[in-house]
Amino acid sequence: MAQQANHALPNGFQLEEYTIERQLSLGGFSIVYLAQDLEGRQVAIKEYLPNSLALRGEGEIKPQIAPDHQAAFRYGMKCFFEEGRALARLSHPNVIRVLNFFRANDTVYMVMEYEHGRTLQEFIQKHQGHISERFMRGLFTRMLNGLREVHSNKLLHLDIKPSNVYMRTDNAPVLIDFGAARQTLASDQPMLKPMYTPGFASPEHYGSRNDLGPWSDIYSVGASMYACLAGCAPQAADDRIKKDSLTPAMVRWDGQYSDRLLEIIDWCLNLNHLYRPQSVFALQKALVEAITPPTEKKPPGWINRVVGKIKGAAKK
Amino acid sequence: MRFTIYQESRQGGRANNEDRVAYCYSRDALLMVVADGMGGHFYGEIAAQIAVQTLTDSFQQEAHPGVGDPFRFLQKGMTNAHHAILDYSAKHRLNDSPRTTCVACLIQDSLAYWAHAGDSRLFLMRRGKVVAQTKDHSRVRLLMEEGVISEAQAAVHPERNKIYSCLGGGQAPEIEFSRKTPLEDGDIILVCSDGLWGVTSGESMAVTLKGANLLQAAPMVMAQAEVKGGTQGDNLSMVAVRWEESYVEPSESSVSTQAMTMDQVTTRLDEFGRNPSAKTDLSEDEIEQAIEEIRLAIDKYTPKK
Repeated sequence: MAQQANHALPNGFQLEEYTIERQLSLGGFSIVYLAQDLEGRQVAIKEYLPNSLALRGEGEIKPQIAPDHQAAFRYGMKCFFEEGRALARLSHPNVIRVLNFFRANDTVYMVMEYEHGRTLQEFIQKHQGHISERFMRGLFTRMLNGLREVHSNKLLHLDIKPSNVYMRTDNAPVLIDFGAARQTLASDQPMLKPMYTPGFASPEHYGSRNDLGPWSDIYSVGASMYACLAGCAPQAADDRIKKDSLTPAMVRWDGQYSDRLLEIIDWCLNLNHLYRPQSVFALQKALVEAITPPTEKKPPGWINRVVGKIKGAAKK
Repeated sequence: MRFTIYQESRQGGRANNEDRVAYCYSRDALLMVVADGMGGHFYGEIAAQIAVQTLTDSFQQEAHPGVGDPFRFLQKGMTNAHHAILDYSAKHRLNDSPRTTCVACLIQDSLAYWAHAGDSRLFLMRRGKVVAQTKDHSRVRLLMEEGVISEAQAAVHPERNKIYSCLGGGQAPEIEFSRKTPLEDGDIILVCSDGLWGVTSGESMAVTLKGANLLQAAPMVMAQAEVKGGTQGDNLSMVAVRWEESYVEPSESSVSTQAMTMDQVTTRLDEFGRNPSAKTDLSEDEIEQAIEEIRLAIDKYTPKK
């Protein structure tokens, strides 16, 4: 049955020094608004408002939190703080910047920079299957700069997917939505399930989550690259574990993109995390290597070996 | 739905606790269960655990958000529990099936429905008086009803603990059902094991719980009963709910189910074993501190223009 949606703050609402322009998005965990600060600068404001724990009726400002949910609500707030803390420490052109953090209306708000642009998801939908290799390499190399910064701060993003990669008007990618970052949620809080997106979440996301590491974000990067070529998300990792019907990029786009790029995608999408690039640096290094244009003919034995190797690894 | 609820189970003077308690609620229905595993039999606590688990499980499956037919739900739940206990003893090749008493109460649309087998009791208290209670399935109670013995004699009768209906065991349980009972604002429903009602009368508990803050008064009743039970005292358990109408001044600890989705169920059932660790909570100070920290970090890492 449908989750009841929370009502957003009204347009024009004065939230501390910010004026709400409109709602940008509504998630299960939060609402994001476009707002203007005192200097007329546009910002994005994320409001902590978990659907299952807090209820804001139409025309209300403060959400109602059932006393029984208070503990869980506060616990979720802790996670929201984690996101704030994580982002505050990151100052990188390819990572969304937090500008302010405050408390109001019985909940908490995070103010982030806002720039014109679109998400990679929108870009993929517009260019269905016609994304050039050069564009891919350029975009992901820069995006990985941001992810490297994240990892070097001992953080994992854990929800990398095309809709969380924002592209400025000059196509510079920015990693957004760190809502899943470091959300290691206790099992006695059934209302706050760890979040992941099927197709982009790594196999480690589904299990005990003890094996999560940089390689898990790398799986998601591989899935995002795959999605750029396919136009849609690859088969979900939990399904792949049961029955892997994902066509390797090497097979699916043979001859249309360089072998190296396709190989990298399949490398990232290995089900066994030990067979993936173990660090963003390793992946980046592979991505910036000299491009060999796709060749028409390749010795079949070599291809089969690679495909066989991938399949073999996937079975492990 | 608006109510205040409290549950507790204490070991008393016994070596282990064979009582099990649980409550669960969805947006439109509340279920409370007490089961008292029978000590003279093998694995009494397992029988009690199975009974409570079976009922709460079927509540989770059916209460979306209310159950169709509350009496049918109780009847099915308790019969299933009985068979689940028999299955358990068959599977583990036990010489004798474990047994447990069981009392379960379902409240939906401010109407209460209950059922019991054995001598765990339900009391409905209104304005400090007991207005309804279950009748124990014990010989002593039958003797008392026939006028053979007095209430005072019954209280000390050597066979007062012998019951003729329970879940598990060779005989099919005799499950007794209440009538559909409308609740008033402030009504208290107490389900408890004999460890509690054996040492404290329903009337005195009704007086203690009347009007007082349930979350303070109920543990007090338990503590006093445990003292009265003494070093040889039985396990004692209770689930108590104060039913509140929506317009009543909401008390700090009451539960509102408004924010729950149609298919969501909240269950509180203690783990097998001892008390689970307390939840971590975030205090006001910690919130302020976290915000301060984040702001400092923002300032520190923002490139100066």
